[in-house]
Amino acid sequence: MASAPSKLYTDDVSLLVVLLDANPFFWSASSLPFSKFISHVISFLNSVLLLNQLNQIVVIATGHNCCDYVYDSSSPASRSVGTGKLSALSVDLLEKLEEFVGRDEKLLKKEPEGSIASSLLSGSLSMALCYIQRVFRSGPRHPHPRILCLHGSQDGPEQYVAIMNAIFSAQRSMVPIDSCFIGAQNSAFLQQASYITGGVYLKPQLLEGTFQYLSTVFGTDLHSRGFLQLPKSVGVDFRASCFCHKKTIDMGYICSVCLSIFCKHHKKCSTCGSVFGQPHSEVASEPNKKRKAGDT
Amino acid sequence: MPQVKIIARNFMDMVAALPAMKLDQLYQNAFICEAILRSLPPLAKKYVIQMLYIEEAVTTKSIEEWVLPDGLSKHKVAIDRLLQLRIFSEAFDRSSGTSYRLNPTFQTNLQKHITCGGVLPREPMPSSITARLPSLEDLAVFALEQWECFLLQLINSTQAEKMTNISPSMMRIFQRGLLTQRDKEPPRLTESGFQFLLMDTNAQLWYIIREYISNSEERDVDSADLISFLLELSFHATGEAYNMNTLTEVQRNTLKDLADLGLVKLQQGRKESWFIPTKLTTNLSVSLTDSSSRKEGFVVVETNFRIYAYSTSKLHCEILRLFSRIEYQLPNLIVGAITKESLYNAFDNGITAEQIISFLQQNAHPRVSERVPSVPENVTDQIRLWESDLNRVEMTPAHFYDEFPTRDVFEAACDFAREYGGLLWEDSKKMRLVVKTDVHMHMREHLRRQRQ
Amino acid sequence: MASAQVIKRAKYKTTVKDPGTAGVLKMAWDRFIFTPNHPNSASNLDVEFRFIKGHKNTKEGSNKPPWLNLTNDQGGSYIFEFESYPDLHTCRDFVGKSIGRSGETPTAASGKTDASLPDEQISTAELELRIKLLRENSELQKLHKQLVIGGILTEAEFWATRKKLLDQESSRKSKQRVGFKSAMISDIKPATDGRTNKVTFSLTPEVILQIFAEKPAVHAAFLKYVPNKMTEKDFWTKYFKAEYLHSTRNAVAAAAEAAEDEELAIFLRNDDILAKEARQKIRRVDPTVNMEADQGDDYMHLPDHGLFRDGGKDIIESQHELYRRTLAHDLNRHAAVVLEGRTVEVELEDTRTVAEALAKLKRVESANEDSDGTANQGILERIARITEIEDLQASHGPPLAPLCIKDPRDYFDSQQVIAVKAPAAEGKKCNLSSREAYGSLRDSISQTKQMGLLNPVVKTKDALQVFNALSHDISRTKYDVGKNPQDSVLDKLPSTTKEQLLHHWTSIQELLRHFWSSYPITSSYLYAKVNRLKDAMSQIYPQLEEIKKSVPAHHKQHVSVLVRQMHQALDAAFQHYDADLQKRSAKSSERPNGYV
Repeated sequence: MASAPSKLYTDDVSLLVVLLDANPFFWSASSLPFSKFISHVISFLNSVLLLNQLNQIVVIATGHNCCDYVYDSSSPASRSVGTGKLSALSVDLLEKLEEFVGRDEKLLKKEPEGSIASSLLSGSLSMALCYIQRVFRSGPRHPHPRILCLHGSQDGPEQYVAIMNAIFSAQRSMVPIDSCFIGAQNSAFLQQASYITGGVYLKPQLLEGTFQYLSTVFGTDLHSRGFLQLPKSVGVDFRASCFCHKKTIDMGYICSVCLSIFCKHHKKCSTCGSVFGQPHSEVASEPNKKRKAGDT
Repeated sequence: MPQVKIIARNFMDMVAALPAMKLDQLYQNAFICEAILRSLPPLAKKYVIQMLYIEEAVTTKSIEEWVLPDGLSKHKVAIDRLLQLRIFSEAFDRSSGTSYRLNPTFQTNLQKHITCGGVLPREPMPSSITARLPSLEDLAVFALEQWECFLLQLINSTQAEKMTNISPSMMRIFQRGLLTQRDKEPPRLTESGFQFLLMDTNAQLWYIIREYISNSEERDVDSADLISFLLELSFHATGEAYNMNTLTEVQRNTLKDLADLGLVKLQQGRKESWFIPTKLTTNLSVSLTDSSSRKEGFVVVETNFRIYAYSTSKLHCEILRLFSRIEYQLPNLIVGAITKESLYNAFDNGITAEQIISFLQQNAHPRVSERVPSVPENVTDQIRLWESDLNRVEMTPAHFYDEFPTRDVFEAACDFAREYGGLLWEDSKKMRLVVKTDVHMHMREHLRRQRQ
Repeated sequence: MASAQVIKRAKYKTTVKDPGTAGVLKMAWDRFIFTPNHPNSASNLDVEFRFIKGHKNTKEGSNKPPWLNLTNDQGGSYIFEFESYPDLHTCRDFVGKSIGRSGETPTAASGKTDASLPDEQISTAELELRIKLLRENSELQKLHKQLVIGGILTEAEFWATRKKLLDQESSRKSKQRVGFKSAMISDIKPATDGRTNKVTFSLTPEVILQIFAEKPAVHAAFLKYVPNKMTEKDFWTKYFKAEYLHSTRNAVAAAAEAAEDEELAIFLRNDDILAKEARQKIRRVDPTVNMEADQGDDYMHLPDHGLFRDGGKDIIESQHELYRRTLAHDLNRHAAVVLEGRTVEVELEDTRTVAEALAKLKRVESANEDSDGTANQGILERIARITEIEDLQASHGPPLAPLCIKDPRDYFDSQQVIAVKAPAAEGKKCNLSSREAYGSLRDSISQTKQMGLLNPVVKTKDALQVFNALSHDISRTKYDVGKNPQDSVLDKLPSTTKEQLLHHWTSIQELLRHFWSSYPITSSYLYAKVNRLKDAMSQIYPQLEEIKKSVPAHHKQHVSVLVRQMHQALDAAFQHYDADLQKRSAKSSERPNGYV
């Protein structure tokens, strides 16, 4: 899996799509309180807007049950007046975020069973990519887009397929996915996402200094990335999840027609319906058992 | 005559050239900090942002650590710029080497800006007072008209249909360097004048503003004040009305001049008067950056050397006339052809082939700008070829030396001239050589020394 | 065509190691019969071709004797050793045809066996392609040497997985036909050496064809005079003499020469055939077409229209009109021929055959032109055929089997449902109920709204610490990985170790691919293959261990990580092999003589 070749940009005008983890179950267990975290993030967003008048920021909140746009610097509606304490951006963003959390709660069907539930990362990634596609189609001169995942919740293996699809679509359109992971364990999804798309994956050691991480590493525009060395993650977990039980597996069966992954032998592919070979029938589409190996 | 090259970005050089005291004073204003930050090269911006909350000095080494070998030159440029503008201050320590620290005033201002957002010294007026504000489109039209009218007047006072209110003396200041006038002849554009016309609007604007500021001392206006006012102005929202009574007398006078350039629109209410910034103003701080201007072009060039310019502007027509033969003009279309004669005309006027090509490329119609190349290659090649046709013979003032007493002296003289890069021709058989005039004085010294 | 039967001396062997029974192999169109020399021998064979499902043969140049291996549908095989390779080839071709014939009414099973057991019937073109590929790709060559020459895989097996490579290579060849040059033949400039009065025209078959096409009169004359009346050389000398007269624009001289030489006159006079054709054409022209040139068609400023000869300048008396050809004539005729394209498909060697082929074509065309409709049809067809310009067309993508997902909604819905419902299996305990969790999140948002952002967001101390840590990281990775941060772990290893590892990795992958694709084992052939593969893999296993031991201590960790991956992959294969063997032996107790 080679990372996407980065385009050569002639200027530093950027479109930053931030995926903000707003999963209450994560934040209630996190060592960094959300109020502090959001301060870091808003300051960072302000500093990005400060760098270039044409810079554009879109914030998508990723909840437990849904995701939605909470801020778009290009939309004319977002021009509320800043108070002495807060910039217009923060007023807007916090307002929308509050509404969003309310909506997310209403969608909650049942209590997650005593553990940290994952956020709907696949949804917000797709939304971000849709937005970026719209920008690409807006004309020949558009800002250079990148996605920044500010994520802390654990991976939801059940989202594996959707997330991988989003990652490959980002790779195709050469949109790097940066990830700043503030949770306890590393996120295999985001590691892969950043690796494949040529973005940066970083897990801050000192959460109090989140702003510094954001500004030093993730504030770098795509133009400057041509001249700078950014942190590289050491090991990437390339393991896949199976489609049938959403388990992360080392070795499994792959449908030779649609490349769906299964942890054990099935008679039929649940995705495309191909009939797999029985030990004594000679159907061409027999599943190859293959080891997925990282190309380190 | 030394060649005048007009570079738009040298406005920031002007700021950098301000005395240290004045520069520090400028950084008191958060908006100037922002505008200057935006004017920096991308790498320099990143350095500022990553140092924003570090109040101690950071060693050069730890910054350079991040730079890839390819980016070293960019890194140097960025650091130089930061030092020039006194945003970084340099310190040297024997143990840790050179280190940098962010200008404290600059730092606090930006910190405040990041957490609380910027607050303008004046707020937009409520719509209850300013009943009928022009729409954004109207405003854009106004700005463009005003600016083109000004430009036309600048290059050809007789052509302009209506005159701007800019005083003739001011106009003369602007025209300085762009036009020459020999007694009783109509004024002619100089080389830099032609180059000026081919620049994009923002670059032209900055040229004019620069002239305006450099002339300010003559009008008893402090140039630092003027710079800060202009930069501050660029952060006002386009299309909003701002009350005039928030301004000082000097600022109000300045604003009148700016209105003539199309930067602001002035309106008079029943009691109060206000100004409305146009796109040109808000672009002021944008155009300081490296980002290429993002506006729609209008020119289509065909492989048969025809130019179709979808424009109603008289100015565009005049500009195209500089290097092409205009064949006919329709209400919204100018059709011309690039011919050898028209180009020789342009070259005579000191316009270079590269300038013409970059003008055509920058203003390429959206339909063709998606293509690579946006201007057909055969056309660009031909333009370059025609230009190089003119450069077959190069004239260099030179001096001729002969009758050297010995071969040693002759060879020493040759070596000497070569060292200075002034040797044009030598004939070792007859011991003669030709040397550029620039080196003549040195040469004479050298030969005199040899004789002794 | 091929003879109805083939009789060759051969030795029949039941297995490769069998010394074989000498005898005579007779192949008829539907069966082959082997009669041993020794009448007492038991190996009398009479097999019908429809039972033969595949055939393989040893390659000429390899150190093996010429063997032909015929496999029957029960998995058994007949091996014949011939006396020479030509014998082998004759028989192989015969067998190929016979099987092809009997395969015309194939049963479902036979097709599949063929697929799993690719035969060795390859054309020389394909062979060349393979050799070329091997020569170009040293890695492939190494692999080929190890696996095929080493006897682990057969040639066919090795290439079966690389069909795509072969296809790509072969599809690069262009089918496009070369048209006529657009340069006019009249522009063939005579070369003068300057000293003598000799003028030399150089003539190639290409030019001759073009002359024939453009000048029917010359064509007709050639057919008429050569070689009966004059030699080809004389013919062309005359022709170019005429051409030369034209080019000097000396109509008077031309007329004089024509009077003396009858043959020469043919070349100098206006082409009657052309004139006839032109009249026909004029009749067909749509009279409403506007022929007026516009400004864009202006070529007038080019001197001589850019052409070697200019008809516009001659002013000639009317009596010599006959001997004057206008430039417009030549231009038009040339344009027509070029547009028509090359219609003769003969090797441009013998001028006579070219001339005749062209004549034949003309007759066909004129027959067609009797009815106007067919003529138009013919032109259209020809255009369609000729305008297939491959290098101007977008490349056709590889043929794709469309993926059919029964109902896409099922797929995404199920994803969605699971995403919403299923909680993660592990993680830190969250001791808050959902209401409390949401509540606290909302509180912190409204708290931020009231209090504003943290000021300062980061303490200087923290900021500096983070920055230094990051810078340190960067410098460390730079150091670790060497000068180029893009280098991988492999590049740090000694180059021999690196190469060995890479080579083992590719060969393991190749072996594994073949290994897994042989399952389920349905024939003795596959069984043997799996065994061969397993042996080869178990040989690699200790080699990997050795590499691990041989590397310097500071690389040991990296290497062991890499080697472990390979070991794991191999282990999985061995495990599967053993499990399968057990299952098989349990079954084979019921069927003792199942496989060889």
